[in-house]
Amino acid sequence: MRMEREVELVVVGGGAAGLAAALRAREEGVGEVWVLDRNERAGGILPQCIHTGFGLHYFGENLTGPEYIHRFVKRARERGIVLKLETMVLELTPEREVRAVNAQDGLLKLRAGAVILAMGCRERPRGSLLIPGGRPAGIFTAGTAQRLLDVEGLLPGREVVILGSGDVGLIMARRFVMEGIRVRAVVEQLPYPGGLTRNVVQCLEDFGIPLLLRSTVTCIHGRERVEGVTVAEVDGEGRPVPGTERRIPCDTLVLSVGLIPENELSEGAGILLDGRTGGPVVDEFMRTSLEGVFACGNVVTVFDLVDHVTLTGERAGEAAARYLRGELSPPRRMREVEPGENVRLVVPQRIAEEGPVTLYLRVSRPLREVRVEVGGRSFLRKAVRPPEMVTLTLEGEEVRELGERVPVRVEGLPLER
Amino acid sequence: MRLEEFWERVRADPSFSGVSLRLRVEEGTVFLEGETESWEQVVELGHLAAGLEGVRGVVNRLWPRGLPRAERRREPKERAPWDGSRVDVVVVGAGIVGAAIARELSRYELEVALVEKEEDVGWGQSKGGASWVHGFAGLDADPDSLKARLCVEGNAMYDRWAEELDFPFRRPGLLAVVRQEELLPFLEEVAELVRRHGCPVRVVGREELRRMEPGLPEEAVAALFFPTYGVVAPYTVTVALVENAVANGVRLLLGTEVVGVRVEGGRVRGVVTDRGEILCSFLVNAAGLYADEVAEMAGSPEFTIHPRKGEMLLVDWKRAGACLHNLAPAELKEDPYTKGGGISLTVDGNLLWGPTAQEVPHKEDTDTTREGMEKVWERFSPFLPSIRRSDVITAFAGVRAATYTEDFHIAPSKKVRGMVNVGGIQSPGITSAPAIARRVVELLREEGLVLREKPSFNPRRRAIPRFKELGEREKEELLVRDRRYGHVICRCEHVTEGEVVEAIRRGATTLDGVKFRTRAGMGRCQGGFCTPHLLRLLSRELGRPVEEITKKGGRSRVVVGRIKEPLLEG
Amino acid sequence: MEVRELTCIVCPVGCRARVRVEGGRAVGWEGLECRAGEEYVKREVELPLRDFFTVVRVKGGGVVPVRSTGPIPRERLLEASRELAGLEVEGPVRVGEVLVRNLLGMGVDVVATGEVEG
Repeated sequence: MRMEREVELVVVGGGAAGLAAALRAREEGVGEVWVLDRNERAGGILPQCIHTGFGLHYFGENLTGPEYIHRFVKRARERGIVLKLETMVLELTPEREVRAVNAQDGLLKLRAGAVILAMGCRERPRGSLLIPGGRPAGIFTAGTAQRLLDVEGLLPGREVVILGSGDVGLIMARRFVMEGIRVRAVVEQLPYPGGLTRNVVQCLEDFGIPLLLRSTVTCIHGRERVEGVTVAEVDGEGRPVPGTERRIPCDTLVLSVGLIPENELSEGAGILLDGRTGGPVVDEFMRTSLEGVFACGNVVTVFDLVDHVTLTGERAGEAAARYLRGELSPPRRMREVEPGENVRLVVPQRIAEEGPVTLYLRVSRPLREVRVEVGGRSFLRKAVRPPEMVTLTLEGEEVRELGERVPVRVEGLPLER
Repeated sequence: MRLEEFWERVRADPSFSGVSLRLRVEEGTVFLEGETESWEQVVELGHLAAGLEGVRGVVNRLWPRGLPRAERRREPKERAPWDGSRVDVVVVGAGIVGAAIARELSRYELEVALVEKEEDVGWGQSKGGASWVHGFAGLDADPDSLKARLCVEGNAMYDRWAEELDFPFRRPGLLAVVRQEELLPFLEEVAELVRRHGCPVRVVGREELRRMEPGLPEEAVAALFFPTYGVVAPYTVTVALVENAVANGVRLLLGTEVVGVRVEGGRVRGVVTDRGEILCSFLVNAAGLYADEVAEMAGSPEFTIHPRKGEMLLVDWKRAGACLHNLAPAELKEDPYTKGGGISLTVDGNLLWGPTAQEVPHKEDTDTTREGMEKVWERFSPFLPSIRRSDVITAFAGVRAATYTEDFHIAPSKKVRGMVNVGGIQSPGITSAPAIARRVVELLREEGLVLREKPSFNPRRRAIPRFKELGEREKEELLVRDRRYGHVICRCEHVTEGEVVEAIRRGATTLDGVKFRTRAGMGRCQGGFCTPHLLRLLSRELGRPVEEITKKGGRSRVVVGRIKEPLLEG
Repeated sequence: MEVRELTCIVCPVGCRARVRVEGGRAVGWEGLECRAGEEYVKREVELPLRDFFTVVRVKGGGVVPVRSTGPIPRERLLEASRELAGLEVEGPVRVGEVLVRNLLGMGVDVVATGEVEG
């Protein structure tokens, strides 16, 4: 059982980025667009993000995740995009052969004219944090708990402690309370929350859920099922402070401690990755270091808003279409973007041409009275926080003025809550 | 050591202050009773008593004042339909040793029951152990000790086992790496000591070492190379043994805990379990951590297990190229009871670092600790500087069933005819398992078990196909046979629905059962993606509601109910 | 009169405001830096509204995500959730389909945000 053929454009991943890329490519005239996704339905993570806050920028509306992505899925069906679901891409070769498998077609070997990578990200599990204790049932990453609750309709637990105050954890705190599941605390290692202030207010403060900052879980109790966790304060280096331990009874530990772009396929193809983002090094056309291969969405870096994910997807789709038409010239003079002071990461990492460029940047700590310097240019912001990406658009002339190296740094005063 | 000397040492040593001790020796077994201030004292005294002349086993009932005993919950169970039936041999414990013994017995015309208290096989030490198939039992082991001999014998038997039972097995060999120049002059001497165990070894100089293992740091000046060291996945071996045993007629009783042994006229008559009684003429006690308790149930306590925890770190297989052989530090060691651990390759490409060795009072204490995990990292990361913390995907811990003589206790029960105790099988237990099984069958024969070969015995067993490892042609053939091998469930290890369904068909009823048979959930996302899918498949294939599916039996439900139940309960 | 502390969510500064509340109305405040913040804080004190969204059970298993067509008072979120707890819908359901009219008499409907097949 096999299928071997040429496909003009193959998109790996049918979530927000992949669908946006596929649609834009189709609009730009690409004849054959295939989207491969491992889930039983398209949409990526969005069908389980049942809360609002999506599409404020892109649609000017306040939508839930499922509503947002539904528009793209519907349009994809209408525009004749081939959607192969429950299909796992096993390998991408440097010659742009996409090897995948599914139960219908068997082994797929697709020789692609162009490939767009849109695999999104995965969650950091308990194992890689090396949290001491037992290995009982009842430990979930927030996204898995979300899937169990809001897709399968199952209860991950009845009394939860959440480790990590990233947005996914905060969102789930609210969901749990709304479903009658008790949330004992959200525990955060840093001195400030990891998610948006809006979520801290509307997910924790609204429901009186305690937020324990500068703290971590030092032990998980329970042999068969979680029975509780020990929480302790941490010092400046993240090490538990002896004597500050206290035990919180619970039957579930939910982890929201980091999202990691899923780049196994990229690595396998020899694509150059950025150690800061965990994703491919890309230019403003979302080109990776492998010819004919583009990347967009969370696989490049974890974005804060799906609206940005969609825009990077469209950029990739458009560039792929131009590439297929032979209209995307190879990069002439690559300018390298260099993250400097207070900048955790920036995408794109390279600027190939001299048209307008949008940079997405994450700061490494909260600041106010902010000046962002890109090359010689300054941009002012009232305040910036790590959970909210800073978006900067440079016009053509501004790009032309940049040197080969484009240092990006952020200056400002400390911002406390 | 004589008794007077023992008491002298105990009284003179200030570290034994606060101990109240009563001791008696009976036919080669020393019994310790009383109270101590700390667990360390219990272990120390046990070890000391093992050195008494004429003593072949230590029963140590010392316990620290005020230390709570482990809670053992026993759920009431229904009587099983086999209650009251009779077999020839009952084997207690379906770890790798019990399974190997059962499989050996299945060669003969015998009714054999393999009784296991957990919901699946190998869930005691066998799943918590490292992957080493040792070339020898370590320099601290007496070459004439049981464990030293059975280790070398067992090692040699692994190729045939792997071939017959279709489990992955490799012999990468071990490099015991020397970083301290002062040790160089002693290497040949050490090599000679190793050879006395019957284990091949040779000294490797700096140049050759660099060629063999380019990832080592500059400080590595030489090594001892042991070519017969192998790696295996112990739970995989256990599953393979059980499947073959069952295929050859052994009755496997899971979720069945032995709570008593019937002895009449000095002879074993049967076992009492929490689901019913089984009559038998022969009993093999391979109950791992609880082997001492089973011996006690039969009225003949002959050894005590003192649990020794070992913590390990698992490094992502994407760093598999970092080392080509197993590695261990060749250094002066503090702890004489442990071989010190090392960096082990595994059959699936991950690197397994550890284990540590820490005496703990409770047999069920498999918690990882900050100190333990740190220790593993600090001890072994200097040997592979290219590995980063972020490459570690998980940590786990197991507990070794160590006796105080620190040797295997494989012998017929002193007081109960027909019963063979197989106790204290700590490392190199996995390696020794094939040899242990052979020896135990011999001991049973000596106890009077009649062994008539079964012509229908089939030593071969086929593993569940591993989609990820198949070549293209094989993948296609598999897909033609069963399309479900095209539906990938585990994103990290590319485990397919076909494999999961087959694992369930072969006896997995829990998430861990599927995990250990297919590797689903063992990858870098640690089940984040596949868990909901596995739940659904287990529910579908077993015909059980999803809320009843457990991680590892008992009360380890993965989900606690259906959405809205808390709201509706009010 | 009471003093309430709130975090403004209008911009990343996240000003921590202290608001004097009398008779359910904001009569004075400090810690805010802009007009939008003042507007937000006033609303939050006087009548905080929230988007309401949850999932509803589907006959045969599974759930479908839903939302209210407009925000509802924060204080009634849990009540709304309990109100829908016993509801079970049957496919087919289209995105946007009204599942409950005038939820708790608050003048908003509950619509499906996902699809259910028939």
